[in-house]
Amino acid sequence: MIAIYVCALIAVYAALRLIAEGNTMRKLPFLNVVSFAVTGIIALLLPHPITIVAAAAFFVGSTFESNAIASTWAGGMKRNG
Amino acid sequence: MDEIVMAGCIMLVLIGTFSAALGRDPFNKLISLSVMIAGIFPFIVDRGYVDVAAALALIAPLSTIFILMACQRREPS
Repeated sequence: MIAIYVCALIAVYAALRLIAEGNTMRKLPFLNVVSFAVTGIIALLLPHPITIVAAAAFFVGSTFESNAIASTWAGGMKRNG
Repeated sequence: MDEIVMAGCIMLVLIGTFSAALGRDPFNKLISLSVMIAGIFPFIVDRGYVDVAAALALIAPLSTIFILMACQRREPS
């Protein structure tokens, strides 16, 4: 039961660090930390066999989203160059 | 769900909401929006709607990518 508390604490701490950070590029690792901690909360929340599927889907989706934001912020694809 | 975990998730949702409402840069708004969506997910899983959560976790990044198409960074000419 202590593990889900640690995950919630890490999520809230990373969210507070995220809003305190000024640079956009330095916000993105904290966004990843929030996503990983929420994945841990989802996996530990219910003793049901499909819960791990939801946790894996959330992990993949949040990593995809944060990579899309980082890639677009860095300039996107370079055309004809 | 335990009360401490519920308080943590409510804090995630509130932090994401106020940071998205008060931010200026559209990328900061998107990052805060994804924090808000991450805070919503444990409430969906807690009620037992695990399949809804799995579908939503794959659909929610698509909306972010559609918003990213609208606010792409312009090339410096």
